[in-house]
Amino acid sequence: MAVIEVKELHKTYTETIVPVNALNGINLSFEKGEFTAIVGPSGCGKTTLLNIIGGLDTPTEGKIIIEGEDISGLSASQLVDFRLRNIGFVFQAYNLIPVLTVKENIEFIMDLQHKKNTESLERVSYLLELMGMKDKINVRPKYLSGGQQQRVAVARALASKPKFVLADEPTANLDSKSTEILLELMATMNKTEEMTFIFSTHDQRVMDKAHRIITLEDGKIISDAKTAKK
Amino acid sequence: MIVNIAWRNVWRNKLRSFVVIAAIALGLWGGIFSYAFMQGMSDQQINSTIHTETGHIQVNQPKFLLNYDLQTNIKNSVNIEKTIRSFSGVKGVTSSIQLTAMASTAVTSFGIKINGIDPESFKTVNELNKYIIKGNFFDEKIPNSAIIGQQLAEKLHADLHSRIVITLQSYTGEITYFAFKVVGIYKLQNSEYNEQMVFVKKKDLQNAIGFPNGNASVINILLANNEITDSLERQIQAKFPNLQVQTWLELSPMMQVMSGTLNQMSMIFVFIILLALAFGIINTMLMAVMDRTREIGMLLSIGMNQKKVFSMIVLETLFLSLSGSIVGLIISIITVYYFGIHGIDLSFISEGINAIGFSSHVYPVLDIGFYPKFAFMVIVIALISSLLPARRAIKLNPAEAVRGE
Repeated sequence: MAVIEVKELHKTYTETIVPVNALNGINLSFEKGEFTAIVGPSGCGKTTLLNIIGGLDTPTEGKIIIEGEDISGLSASQLVDFRLRNIGFVFQAYNLIPVLTVKENIEFIMDLQHKKNTESLERVSYLLELMGMKDKINVRPKYLSGGQQQRVAVARALASKPKFVLADEPTANLDSKSTEILLELMATMNKTEEMTFIFSTHDQRVMDKAHRIITLEDGKIISDAKTAKK
Repeated sequence: MIVNIAWRNVWRNKLRSFVVIAAIALGLWGGIFSYAFMQGMSDQQINSTIHTETGHIQVNQPKFLLNYDLQTNIKNSVNIEKTIRSFSGVKGVTSSIQLTAMASTAVTSFGIKINGIDPESFKTVNELNKYIIKGNFFDEKIPNSAIIGQQLAEKLHADLHSRIVITLQSYTGEITYFAFKVVGIYKLQNSEYNEQMVFVKKKDLQNAIGFPNGNASVINILLANNEITDSLERQIQAKFPNLQVQTWLELSPMMQVMSGTLNQMSMIFVFIILLALAFGIINTMLMAVMDRTREIGMLLSIGMNQKKVFSMIVLETLFLSLSGSIVGLIISIITVYYFGIHGIDLSFISEGINAIGFSSHVYPVLDIGFYPKFAFMVIVIALISSLLPARRAIKLNPAEAVRGE
């Protein structure tokens, strides 16, 4: 059963001198526990699609139905709440909170969700163990390498056990070893906690791990193929 | 967690935060110190008027102050003084003969007001004896002695032991000349007073103009404190309904105007400082928000609602202004206390400042209750100033902001 349905999705950016059609009639559905890579050349609409699915942006036309709820009609504050409850984001540029330690960064979303301290601590310990970063628990992001920062960013996204994890080019700035660790970690969480992962990527290593690869070009789907990974 | 992040964000850009904290501290200090300075000037002026000119209350015949007519005097002033002394809160009572006259020396003449006093009772009301800069206060043994102000002495080219001839009207209306020897020269902060008021002994003046013994032109009263002035005025007026009873404020309405003007000027000054501070804070916080566009975008993206982002920016401003206010308050308390004891010497502009009745040595003073009020004002201004940057932060589009656009 589809947990995410994208119906006749259009997005046009009108702030530019010439209006840009970023998405042209996208129809998609994602099932629970999918590990999907959205690929395509730069400017094909990958990030726009991810942002709209994640409720960071609104479509010009069309619907996004997540677990039966059409999020395209939600207000800004409802969308914030929706993201907090359902989605974990991983950004290309890590985007950790520089004034917080690794532990505090990972705890942050759980704190926003008013989770109990003991519960949060357990989760942080578990994720840091998994990431091999327990020794960095009280370190601030500026003292970490890019790969380590992205691992913390992934841990933060996974901390509150979201139903969906949306990752925008998560490995673009990482070396092979960090990419490998990160993908392994996400694959593990996908299996053990049945989180649905959607990536936008150019990275072949990510595509190699994906169960499904959707290719976009000029805001349209040109291919949507399952792989043999699942 | 929001409070924690806001506090740490304050110290993220230490230089910028220190500059803002210093600006707030200096602004607060500027406001408080200027207010204390003005308050000190105003209080000193009021004190000087009360303790060297009018006392807290003056009693005279209703029309006396119109032309200082000798016939318009208080009969049996001794008994009235006695009654007034019996009122609770009265510290001193003295009566005097006052009239306008002309003082002359061999060089020049000048219009004056002559005040015939009883030196002993006068000292219970008036502190003129503390402001004698040359010579001494009256000596019972020296007859026909006078104490004149420094400015008058200069105008008359008179000095200690000089003889000045005073031309005045006798009680019966004839013009009389009388010579007085200068035994003391005083200097009060009011130059007009220094220029006009000549003190002689009441006994000498009575003899010179034939003023009836036991009568007086005015009775001046010093009270234990200023707060009871109005109530004592009412009591004395009720006891002597045919006499005019006035407080120092009614006798010197200009002082009220000046005191009010000083207060308004300080408030305007404080307002300008707060306005400048507000723009400084808005600018700094807008810069902080712009510098952190990507981070704020991320916070909005991962589910931190707008209310929390707004609170975070407001809290950051609050922490900055609180830090600045604490520093500013400490500096203010220390400087107001120090200069309140040692004073600020404005002798380089003494001529101008004395001409309008103020002392050239100002002792800033401020009620302790004003400090938190000022700090509160700064914090309120800071909070208002934070609204624009905070609004800007929550209006960011998370999808664009997270890419740093």
